[in-house]
Amino acid sequence: MPEIQVERLVKTFGEQRALDQVSFAVEDGELFTLLGPSGCGKSTTLMSIAGFQQPDDGRISVGEETFFEADHRVSIPAERRNLGIVFQSYAVWPHMTVFENLAFPLKVRKLKRQHVRTRVLEVLDLVEMRDYEKRYPHQLSGGQQQRVALGRALVYSPAVLLLDEPFSNLDAKLRERARTWVKELQRTLGLTTIFVTHDQDEALSMSDRIVVMSAGAVQQIGTPEEVYRAPANRFVAEFVGRVNLVDGVVAAREGALLLVDVTASAKRLAVRAPEDTGIDGRVTLAFRPEAVTLMPAEDISANGTNTWEADVRAVAFLGDHYEYEINVGSQPLTVQSLWHVPGERIKVHIPPEACSIVAGAT
Amino acid sequence: MNTTASVAEAFPPPRRSWLPAGALQGATWLLVIALILGPFVPLLYASLRDRPLYEPGGVFTLDPYRELFGDAAFWHAWQNTLAFAALTTAIAVVFGAAFAILCARTDLPGRGAYSRLVLLPILLPSLGMVLGWVVIWGPGGYLTNFFSQRLHVGTLAIDTIPGMALVEGARLLPIAFLTCAAGLARTDSALEDAARSAGAPPLTVLRSVTIPMLRPALLNSATLIFTLAIAALGVPLLLGTSRNITFVSSYLYNLWTNASAPDPGSVSAGAMMLLVVATLLLLIRNRLLGAEARFVSVTGRVGRRELLGLRVWRWPLAACFAIYLVFTTVIPVLGLALMSVVTILTPLIAPWELFTWSNWQTLGDDVFRRSIENSALISVVGAVLATALVALATLVAHRSRFPLRRTLPVVLLYPRATPGIIIGIGFFWTFLVTGAIGDWFRGSIWGIMLAFCVRNLPFAYVVMYPTLARIGEELDRAGRAAGAGWWKTNRSIVLPLSRPALFASFVLMFVEILNDYDPAVFLVKPGTEVMGATMLSQFLQGMIGPVSALAMVQVAITVVVLAVGATIFKTRPLGGSDA
Repeated sequence: MPEIQVERLVKTFGEQRALDQVSFAVEDGELFTLLGPSGCGKSTTLMSIAGFQQPDDGRISVGEETFFEADHRVSIPAERRNLGIVFQSYAVWPHMTVFENLAFPLKVRKLKRQHVRTRVLEVLDLVEMRDYEKRYPHQLSGGQQQRVALGRALVYSPAVLLLDEPFSNLDAKLRERARTWVKELQRTLGLTTIFVTHDQDEALSMSDRIVVMSAGAVQQIGTPEEVYRAPANRFVAEFVGRVNLVDGVVAAREGALLLVDVTASAKRLAVRAPEDTGIDGRVTLAFRPEAVTLMPAEDISANGTNTWEADVRAVAFLGDHYEYEINVGSQPLTVQSLWHVPGERIKVHIPPEACSIVAGAT
Repeated sequence: MNTTASVAEAFPPPRRSWLPAGALQGATWLLVIALILGPFVPLLYASLRDRPLYEPGGVFTLDPYRELFGDAAFWHAWQNTLAFAALTTAIAVVFGAAFAILCARTDLPGRGAYSRLVLLPILLPSLGMVLGWVVIWGPGGYLTNFFSQRLHVGTLAIDTIPGMALVEGARLLPIAFLTCAAGLARTDSALEDAARSAGAPPLTVLRSVTIPMLRPALLNSATLIFTLAIAALGVPLLLGTSRNITFVSSYLYNLWTNASAPDPGSVSAGAMMLLVVATLLLLIRNRLLGAEARFVSVTGRVGRRELLGLRVWRWPLAACFAIYLVFTTVIPVLGLALMSVVTILTPLIAPWELFTWSNWQTLGDDVFRRSIENSALISVVGAVLATALVALATLVAHRSRFPLRRTLPVVLLYPRATPGIIIGIGFFWTFLVTGAIGDWFRGSIWGIMLAFCVRNLPFAYVVMYPTLARIGEELDRAGRAAGAGWWKTNRSIVLPLSRPALFASFVLMFVEILNDYDPAVFLVKPGTEVMGATMLSQFLQGMIGPVSALAMVQVAITVVVLAVGATIFKTRPLGGSDA
């Protein structure tokens, strides 16, 4: 039921447009991620949903209920939206014990003492903090505080859970464990969740769907695979994962393949592109470093489409793979290989289906 | 992750507060505006009537202004006042800044203790301190006579304008010290280290880096000190009378009290003029500073600072510092103590031969006893009420979406630059024109309490605001998300977390109300005396002994309350503020 509709949100701070016609819909039980660099408007969007910021225009609704509608001057105060929220700083109240932190939302709802107690203990079990009910926040680690914050956000069965960069204050090891744990909890509870992060790994590994934002505007909405493999534009390609960007000019079309003359080297790159796209002229192509194959230069079996000779500028060993900085003509590329390919000169193969067109004059 | 069924349990919606947040915020705003700006309306009105407001009839006239501006003595008083204020400012700012640099940036021995002790003059009762100066350094004062009669050397006559500037400068020096110390704490000493690495000797660093960076703090404190000096009443009344040096404040005081035919219209006109000058100075000060620079929070980088070595100057400078503290703080207080237990204080006869308890016994008498009781009562009640109001107002100003919230900080700080006598006269007229309620306030000590509270509200605000600013906004947002309304969130989360600031505010307000006097001189009646006003009137009647005893009571209560506050509540009033 709690499908979240965000429609045409606009917010300006002075001269700057923080939100520019932001729209998306979150489905029931989905973990939906707002991803983007700092200042892209993702936190403003989340705080608008929570009711801590007032957009200038647009509409926000959860299920049947309209939270905000500029046209009809509707704005429900934050405390009546029944949302659970976990802040970046956790915001666990330092003068209350773990138990009191979780009991507060229930006391506000005038539950009977005994009812409060059973419910709080139940949720403390859920977030695996039952043993710490009498502790104060300063006696807890960062990870434990986060669990308390999550418990406090869940204890009153909110319609929607909002997570504002909840992992950014944890160290790397703990962060990965917390991610898995939160994702599992969310799936078990089937709780509609909006998650804000600037960390693409977090977004890719946890989300059902991602909206990539930049400069206050939505860049792309899609599943992690869609966003990673078929970035809608140059910004998405560069922000989500690492990418090689190659400028060129469309030369010809051969069935499902588009042939592009790479500007910085005298090579022709074949790209898989739907036939109905009227792409022509100058284009920018994108492919991931791990999508290519490297071979020794003397490997004569390696020939054909998109297989070129390249000069190695630098090689770095990164544990589970090697990273090569190479030049094809004067076109620099960053590529990865699981195996070490010796030599100053090697061969590189770029599969046509690994390339996507991220910008072009149509 | 075992139980899932009951997690979807449905709960009733959060109970709504019976009092809408908007109404509470609006009421707070209205109360603050009415208390602080309200009294100026009757004051302006009174200055434009041809007869006092307590007489029936009366028509609009500019006569009070015409009379006042036509009086040469009034302009002469302005000349004296401006000369005095300029000298006071120079003394306080130069020495305050120098002490701040010595304490914050050098290896001066005992700098930690010095930086606390130097604050004493602003915490001790100002009228009592002036009395101490009079007793010791005044014409016929103990050490004045001692120096001239025994050692045959003259001392600076403190009943002249430079002398009065010295007394007032010593009292206001802590303001410059605090502002500069806070400025130094905020600036990164790496800037100075960089200059030294570049080859600049310490004094060049001081001249070309440290002092230029202090410029905002210097301008800020100079404007505030100048404003406060213009309105000083105790100094001209206690020191200026003998040589007939009149300031604007004492001119108005005399016009109100002494003249055979009191002229409330002209006094109100003069008060309006002072108010305009003080307001202009406040506007200049706000222009000089960014809005936020007015508040100083002692957070930020706490690194070990590389200190500027004083080398051979270490001990001589420390000795100078000590001598300054002894002469301006310790000796006046000791003088008061001595004065309170002798019949007369003179270097010609050993004090123990003149020993008497009679001054202290006089404190048991009517006026004195009532003053002490009244002061203690209004200090406790006033400190509680003012702290509560300022806490609420600070929440509205910084933790709400109330449309007019941005006006509150400006208004809350306004009384800091408003001369106490203006507040006194303003409340006098206010009580007069507000019927039965005003009559009740006018006839009881609560009217004086109200004036003292309003006068000192800025102190509560500068203590409260930095603490509130440090409480992360996410903490109360979490409360709102959990379903608590504005008031419930603040009562359960924000206020409990700002408890140290609430205590500090209470302690500071208690001390300030206890020691305040100038708004009261226009409001006291038989039965509603308070310590400061009694000291002033009794001193002018020549009762120096009992007045000294009363001042000692003030000093003692102040010291005890500050000490208890500091140890029990671990609060340090003025610890993080620029006064």
